[in-house]
Amino acid sequence: MHDQHTSFSITGMSRRLFMAACVALAALVAVAPAHAQAPVDPKAEPNVFVETIASNALQAVKNDEAVKRGDLKRINELVDQLIMPYVNFEKTTRLAAGRHWRQANPEQRAALVEAFKGTLIRTYSGALANVDAVSRIDIQPFRGDANADDVVVRSLVNRSNGPSVAVDYRLEKTPQGWKVYDLNIENIWLIQNYRNQFAQQIQQSGIDGLIEALNRNNLK
Amino acid sequence: MKNQTRHTPRRRYSLGLAAAAVALASGCATVESPSPRDPLESFNRGVFAFNDAIDGALFKPIAYAYRDLTPAPARSCIRNVFGNLEDVWSAFNSLLQARGHDFFNTLGRVMFNSTMGLGGCIDVATMNGAHKINNDLGTTLGVWGIGTGPYLVAPIWGPTTLRDGAATLGGLAANVSPITPIKAIDDVPVRNSIIGLYALDTRESLLDADELVNRTALDRYSFIRDAYLQRRDALVNQRTSDGAALPDYSDDELPDYTDPQPDTQ
Repeated sequence: MHDQHTSFSITGMSRRLFMAACVALAALVAVAPAHAQAPVDPKAEPNVFVETIASNALQAVKNDEAVKRGDLKRINELVDQLIMPYVNFEKTTRLAAGRHWRQANPEQRAALVEAFKGTLIRTYSGALANVDAVSRIDIQPFRGDANADDVVVRSLVNRSNGPSVAVDYRLEKTPQGWKVYDLNIENIWLIQNYRNQFAQQIQQSGIDGLIEALNRNNLK
Repeated sequence: MKNQTRHTPRRRYSLGLAAAAVALASGCATVESPSPRDPLESFNRGVFAFNDAIDGALFKPIAYAYRDLTPAPARSCIRNVFGNLEDVWSAFNSLLQARGHDFFNTLGRVMFNSTMGLGGCIDVATMNGAHKINNDLGTTLGVWGIGTGPYLVAPIWGPTTLRDGAATLGGLAANVSPITPIKAIDDVPVRNSIIGLYALDTRESLLDADELVNRTALDRYSFIRDAYLQRRDALVNQRTSDGAALPDYSDDELPDYTDPQPDTQ
């Protein structure tokens, strides 16, 4: 003991290194369980931002026992926890409503956003349903202007056997960082696909009718 | 028992016809402002309801039974063998569209899958990063500058457009289609069984999409129509410009964009 204090010996140094390595390894083992969620940084590059969210969600879905039994509600919960915080669904709803948004009063707008949220969650869940143990998300190289405020991140969801599914995310830059506001599954943009349905329902029964219809869908 | 099973399809057929008649009659009255790309919406909604009735009574249960009774590896093998045939057709269309890169990629897929993939049974090409490039005659016509024409719902077949429907029918009539090699089989029962299996496989592959539509659509008819048109447009746009153009929502952007947003709770 005394020796170590007086001289900084080679053996003492290597012992300390060994200890440090052990501590580091123990820490790694402790966090290694696949449930560990990587921290999401909304101010990172768009590709990195989307990749973190998507792989967190994919990992969670893969490891969840209820999901393995085919529990769709559980996927919805996971999407709500892991994806929705990074989605600007107010913007999604507003763009889907288009010019009709102007006719809605603030209460109707809030109710519409809340009612459409369920549909959005089920759509994002659809992109994650049927994943298997070897499913993988490959983010495609970023195309377009990296300094733009409105960008698209492209990805492929690969499955064990069968064609991969193209899933693209449209993002906008906000003061708080990136937010996803539109989703494309196999060349079909979500907002675009709801515009006619919204307009049609509003024409038939007004904004309140649309809110009611969306809420009915949420109960199914 | 035997007697019963023989009559079931006929009864269901007439049930479907009755449903279609009702839907046709009601459909004509309800459509107020058809989408510009769907001028025949009233008629289409009638056929859509007819298809749904037949599908729900016949094709969907068979497809689910097929999924439940066949082991997943067998189904994936069957899917991939048909996929390999489709690739031949895709490659041919890439050639018609003067897209050499796609042509050689798809040709490579076919050669790789037919040999290493045991006759197409295993999609080894996709596993090695050579992704499928879907292509067909309707897309080729689109690349050549022909618009889709009105949206149509064909009986049994489902969503199509004047252009895509004509391409499919024309291809079948001229005997150039994904199933050309199957039609070359002389043994009629074998040939028809394979075509039946192809149809079954196709229907089974759509079951998941079907469930997603049921869970998310406000109006299934509009949802499927808009999804079909979006996807078909994207396939053509990807080939005629550098990338599919993004939908532009800005013409509907609010003047009060920066107004304080309502509390969403």
